[in-house]
Amino acid sequence: MTRKKRFGVSQSISQGLSDTIQAVEHHAGIFRHVVLPLSRIELDPDNPRKLAITLSDVRKGLDRTDPAYHKKAAELEKLTELATTIKNSGIINPVVAWKGPSLYRIVAGERRCLASVLAGRTEIEARIFNEKPNAFDLKLIQWTENTAREDLSLNERLGNIHDIQHEYLARHPGAAFSATLLSGMTGLSLAQASYYMTVLSGPLDVKNAIQSGHLANLDKAAVISGVQINSLRTDMLRACLAGCTLKELRSMAQQKKMPFPVKPVANRQPGRKASRINMGSTRHTGVVAFLAKTLLETPTLSPHVGLFAKVDWNHYDHAARAFRTLVELLEKRLAGQDTGP
Amino acid sequence: MKIIAFLNNKGGVGKTTCSRTMAEYLGKIKKMPTLAIDFDPQCNFSHQYLNMEVDPVAPEGLMPPIHPDYDENSAEDADWDGRSSVAEIFYGQGVVPYPTWVEHLDMAPGHAEKLLAAESVRRSEVVEKVHVQLSQFLSSRDVQETYKAVVIDTAPSKGPLTVSVIRAATHIVIPSVMEEQPVQGIYGMLQLWMQESMTREKERPLILVGILPNMFKQTRLHRDILKSLEDNTAISKYILPVRLSQRIVFAEIDSEDSTPHSIFDFPDNHVAKQEAMEVCNYISGRIFE
Repeated sequence: MTRKKRFGVSQSISQGLSDTIQAVEHHAGIFRHVVLPLSRIELDPDNPRKLAITLSDVRKGLDRTDPAYHKKAAELEKLTELATTIKNSGIINPVVAWKGPSLYRIVAGERRCLASVLAGRTEIEARIFNEKPNAFDLKLIQWTENTAREDLSLNERLGNIHDIQHEYLARHPGAAFSATLLSGMTGLSLAQASYYMTVLSGPLDVKNAIQSGHLANLDKAAVISGVQINSLRTDMLRACLAGCTLKELRSMAQQKKMPFPVKPVANRQPGRKASRINMGSTRHTGVVAFLAKTLLETPTLSPHVGLFAKVDWNHYDHAARAFRTLVELLEKRLAGQDTGP
Repeated sequence: MKIIAFLNNKGGVGKTTCSRTMAEYLGKIKKMPTLAIDFDPQCNFSHQYLNMEVDPVAPEGLMPPIHPDYDENSAEDADWDGRSSVAEIFYGQGVVPYPTWVEHLDMAPGHAEKLLAAESVRRSEVVEKVHVQLSQFLSSRDVQETYKAVVIDTAPSKGPLTVSVIRAATHIVIPSVMEEQPVQGIYGMLQLWMQESMTREKERPLILVGILPNMFKQTRLHRDILKSLEDNTAISKYILPVRLSQRIVFAEIDSEDSTPHSIFDFPDNHVAKQEAMEVCNYISGRIFE
């Protein structure tokens, strides 16, 4: 008996159809790819990349009387290198923008825009968000855009992380912003995320050194920020600025037995929980004799006074044994178990 | 105004039949002012409603007849040769739709030579010269105020003409025969849908109404291929729950002297009319309601 042949769409076509449908369902309407006239763009003043140079500087040329002239000239030189490659082969990735009230505000790709203007281009390929991204998403996008760049300073990166933290907490009041959370959001390793968090919550002197550009290494900044002793931290900071390696800084911290912050622990005694009272000890046999005599005169124990008539209270062993018997009797009497002598 | 395009870059899947059925449904049944546009250089859609002419000195194909409103003695028409096709949009000239024998239905016919010229525009110029032209034409106030629906038949290609239609459309339907090669054509169209969707503003999405099983035959081949598409969860929601079967009546009404000339003029109990009504009701419901 021959079997009837079955037909179907090939695996590759079926996969292609479903992949295409899912791509549209997941991405259509979020942004659109366009060619954007460079005359219609503006830079984001809140971008963590703190470029001194402006669009106007690139369009009109630098002003020698500008107080920031030297910084801008250095930035312009770097942009010129990028402009040369853009002139030859265009930009590889589109810039990201959203439609502001009058112009398109660049979310990511400031340098590409400036360099494109410098290269004499009039348009740039862009991904336009259909709606203004919220502040948190904006900061994350800028982080993603900037994180791969080697020329972004530690201060700029810290500023970006600070903004991400700020916007996250604004959206989730009362939530904890941990290194694990930061790592999950940004793709940073947990160690790197921890370093950023340590520096962000660290002492001001380290932050000042980062801000001034003297301290540009995150690992070193995190090691120094973790030092609690002010004098040691000042020494380490000075050593760092003098060119100490990370290993040397760690060694400094170890040699001085840097006290790590001690976690507060509950105030409790070691060992098992106490269930009885040690009555203490004494070398003075008169103390025991005095206590015994006093107790045996009380109505509670006076019926037992005959038991202790022959005790030699000056003998350590006799006195100790008799005192233990006295305590046991007292325990029984107080517990109501004593039936009398 | 809704702009409905029937697309598939594989030829012979019934795009023209679907376009014609939908256009006549909107005009005759829904009484909706409708413009039919023929964007296929073969001009078969135009030929359903107009006596397209063959010009021996234009070997590329058909051209529209002289427009009924053309008056060669009128000063107003002095700069017009009396013919008008949708291809005029590529030459900066106005399009004058033709009335058809279907009530409420006008036709902007194709022009083989001019459409072929648009299809072969150089890559560097294609966006400006072809891609945006149909969209601009259909956005014009005259068109927007005159029609409530536009039905576009397309060429079996993924070239500039089809891209131009995708750029202009509000809704697309992909008719397909349930066979391997036409299904590959679906993939080509979905690619264009994806590219266009990624460039559109949120307020103006390009809606894929769905894949219409067309010229369907109760054979194992057609049933199995339809089932394999329906078994894929991502694709199945775009497979329309209605279908047009392979019926000789659709070929018969193409004939100029056939009676009746429209599928919707057949008796209500005619199986082909019932099927056409069901398909058009469904698509129209998805688009207009």
